Amino acid sequence: MSRTARNATVGIATAVALTFGITACGSSGGDDVAADEKQTITVWAMGAEGEKLTDVAEEYTKANPNITVKVTPVGWDVAHQKLVSAAAAGTLPDVAQMGGSYMGEFAELGVLEPVDTKTFDKKDYFPAGWSQGEVDGQAYGVPWYVDTRVLYYRTDLAEKAGVTEAPSNWKEMQDLATAYQKKAGTKWGLSIQPSGLDTVQNFYSFLYSAGGEIVNDKGEAVIDSPEAVKALEEYGSYFDKGLSNKSVQPGYDVVKDFGNGRVPMFFGGPWHVTLLNEGQPQIKGKWAVANVPADKSSVSMAGGSSLVISKDSEHKAAAKEFIKYLTDTKGQADWYERTKDLPANTAAWASGDLADDTNLQVFKKQMDTAKSSPSLSNWTEITDKVDQAIAKVTQGKASAEDALKTAQSEIEGLVK
Amino acid sequence: MRTMTSRAAESAKAQAGPGASTSPAGGPAGRGGGRKRSMGVQNLAGWLFSTPFLVLFLVFMAFPIIATLVMSFTDFGLRNVTHPLDAEFIGFDNYVKLFGDEKFLKSLFNTAYFVVVGVPLTIGLGLVVAVLLNNGIDRARTFFRVGFYAPVVTTIVAVAVVWRFVLDPSDGLIAGLFSEVGLTAPDFLGSETLAMPSMIAMAVWRNLGTVMVLFIAGLQAIPTEVREAARLDGAGAWQEFKGITVPLLRPTLLYATVITTIGYLNVFEEPFVMTQGGPSDSTLTVSLNMYREGFNFFHMGYASAMAYVLFVVIMGITVLQLRLLKDNTK
Repeated sequence: MSRTARNATVGIATAVALTFGITACGSSGGDDVAADEKQTITVWAMGAEGEKLTDVAEEYTKANPNITVKVTPVGWDVAHQKLVSAAAAGTLPDVAQMGGSYMGEFAELGVLEPVDTKTFDKKDYFPAGWSQGEVDGQAYGVPWYVDTRVLYYRTDLAEKAGVTEAPSNWKEMQDLATAYQKKAGTKWGLSIQPSGLDTVQNFYSFLYSAGGEIVNDKGEAVIDSPEAVKALEEYGSYFDKGLSNKSVQPGYDVVKDFGNGRVPMFFGGPWHVTLLNEGQPQIKGKWAVANVPADKSSVSMAGGSSLVISKDSEHKAAAKEFIKYLTDTKGQADWYERTKDLPANTAAWASGDLADDTNLQVFKKQMDTAKSSPSLSNWTEITDKVDQAIAKVTQGKASAEDALKTAQSEIEGLVK
Repeated sequence: MRTMTSRAAESAKAQAGPGASTSPAGGPAGRGGGRKRSMGVQNLAGWLFSTPFLVLFLVFMAFPIIATLVMSFTDFGLRNVTHPLDAEFIGFDNYVKLFGDEKFLKSLFNTAYFVVVGVPLTIGLGLVVAVLLNNGIDRARTFFRVGFYAPVVTTIVAVAVVWRFVLDPSDGLIAGLFSEVGLTAPDFLGSETLAMPSMIAMAVWRNLGTVMVLFIAGLQAIPTEVREAARLDGAGAWQEFKGITVPLLRPTLLYATVITTIGYLNVFEEPFVMTQGGPSDSTLTVSLNMYREGFNFFHMGYASAMAYVLFVVIMGITVLQLRLLKDNTK
C-alpha cells in the first residue's frame, strides 16, 4: 500500500469508527450500576502512570472486592489519537487520565461527565490544577497530579564559574549562562527549544514571568503585547549570543547532556528529579532546582493530568469512588511515593518528603503561582502559531515584534 | 514503498524477462466442457474465497477513499468526530483555500524538490550499484547485495537513530571527519538550506536497495547470448552497457522510476522523525502537512482536500512518465 493510501486509510478509519460510533452512542446510556454492586471498571492511563496505576488498582480491589479495576496503560505518543478514536466510537473507558491540553477538545466533543462538585471540592486543589479540568467554567476533570517547570542548574559548575546563588531574575540567568560557557567551559549556557512542536512550553516561563499571555481571560488574542515581545526578545537573545543550541532534534533528551556538563541549565518538570537521580547518579548533589527567574514575577506553566469519567460509562458511581480514592489526601501522598508525581491536592503536601524536601518546596512555591493554558479545543493550533513565531526569531529570520504580530493576526482568526 | 518490494521484484521480472510467461491467471481454455454445469458452483466458490479480501478492501480501501473525497467537500472538524453528519458541505472551498495557503504551497514546492533531486539520484545510483554487483564483484556479492538492501528493511526509528548520529553537528560522524581536517561541520538538520538535502540523502540511502533489486532482476533476465554476440562483434564494456543493457532494461527502468516517484511524492517518514518539517517548514512535505492538519489540528475536511490534490498530482505525473518513457521503447 502506498503512503497516500495508508494515510488516507488512517484518516478514514476514524470516519468508519464514527459511523459505528453513532449507533454505539445510541444504544448505551442504560441504567447505571450502583457503586456497591459487583462490577469491573476500565481505566486508561498514560506513560509511567499507566504502569504504576496497575499496582494501586490491585490494592483498591483488595479493599473493595466488588469493584475490579482494569487498567490499560497507553503510550503518550498515541494517547491523543486513541482517545479521539475511542470518543468517536463511543468506546471510551469508564475513567481516563487526560492532559490539561486535551480537556477543551473532549469537552467540545461532549463525551465527558461533569465533575460532581459535592464530592470534589475546588478549594482542596491547586488553582492551576483545578482550572485545567475546567472548560467554560464547568469542571470535567478532577486534578490527579500537577506539574510545573522550574530551573535545573548545575551547582558545581556554577561554583567553577564564580556564582554561588541561583539566578532570580532574567539578567542573573543570562549572566550565569554566559559564565558557565566562558568560565566553566560548558558547550551551552541554557537548554531551551529553538523550534518545532511544543516549543511554546519552554517559552511560557518567559512569557508568563513578563506578564504576557497568548489568549487572555476574555478569550482575546494578546500575543503581540509589549510584555510578550519583551519575553520573546529575551528568549531569542540566548540563540543570538550562542548560549543556546539553534538545532535541537525532535525527541532530544536533555538529561544526558546535563549529566555530562554540556548543558548546565534547563527548564524541567518534577519527573526530571527521578530521571537525574536514576540516570545520572554521578552528579548527585551537584545540581539544584530554583524557581523560574523572574521578570515582573516568577510564573511558570502548569501542567499535569486530570481524571475524567466518560459520559457513556455505566459505572459512574464506582468510577467516582475510585477517583476519590486516588485524589484524597492519603491516595495522593501514596501516589507521590510511587511515581514522584506532585499531588494536586494541597493537603497531601503537609507531611513526609513533600513537607520537608527543599527541592519539592521549590515546586510547591512555583505551583502556587503557575498558570495553566486556557482550555480551548483548538489550543494545539493556536500554540503552533506561537511555535512558528519563536522559530522565526531563534533562526534569526524576524524580529520578535514582527513574528508576534503575524502570530497575533493568525490567532485572532482562531479564537472566534 | 517498502511493502511493495516483493511484488515489485516479481513484476519487474515478468516485465523484463523476454522469456517470462504471461500472467499465471490463465485463460478459460483449461476448463473445457464441464464449464456450463459447474459454473454456478464455481462462481459461488470464487465469491466465497474472495469474500475476506473483498470485505477488507471495501472497509479499509474503497470506503475510506470515497469518504475522504466526500469529506474534502465539507468542513469536517473536531466536533464532527462524534457527530459526523453535522459536517457542512462547503463545495470547493477547501480546494480554493489550499491554493492560497502559503504553507501548502511551500510543502508542494518541498515535495517537488524532493522528487526532482531524489528520483534521479535513487535510480542512477541504484543502476550503478546493480550493474557493479551483477558484473564487477564476484566474491562477496551476496554480502554487498544484503548490505545495500538492509536499509530497506530497517525500521525508520532505527534509521533515525543512525542518521542523527551521522548528522549531529557537534559529535556526529560527519562532524568528526570535518574536525579531522580542521573544519567545522555544518548543522545539517538545523539549516534551512541543508535540511532538505539531508532528507534526500537519507531517502536515497533507504530506497536504493529496492531499486537495486529491481535492476538486478532485470539485468539477470538479459540473455547471455545477446551479450556474447555483442562481445564477438567487438563491443567494449561501455558500448555493451549503452547498446544492450540500457535498452533491454528499459521496462524495469520505467517501473522503478514510476514507483520511486510515487513513493517520494508521498514522503512522510523522514521529515516526521528527523525534523518535524523544520526548520521554518523547510522540510515540510505535503504528506506531513496533511498529517498535521488532519491529526494535530483536526481539519479533516481540509486535510482530505490535500490528499486529493496530492492524488491528482501523483496520477498526472505517473501518466506522464508512462507516456514519455514508454513511447521511447518502441
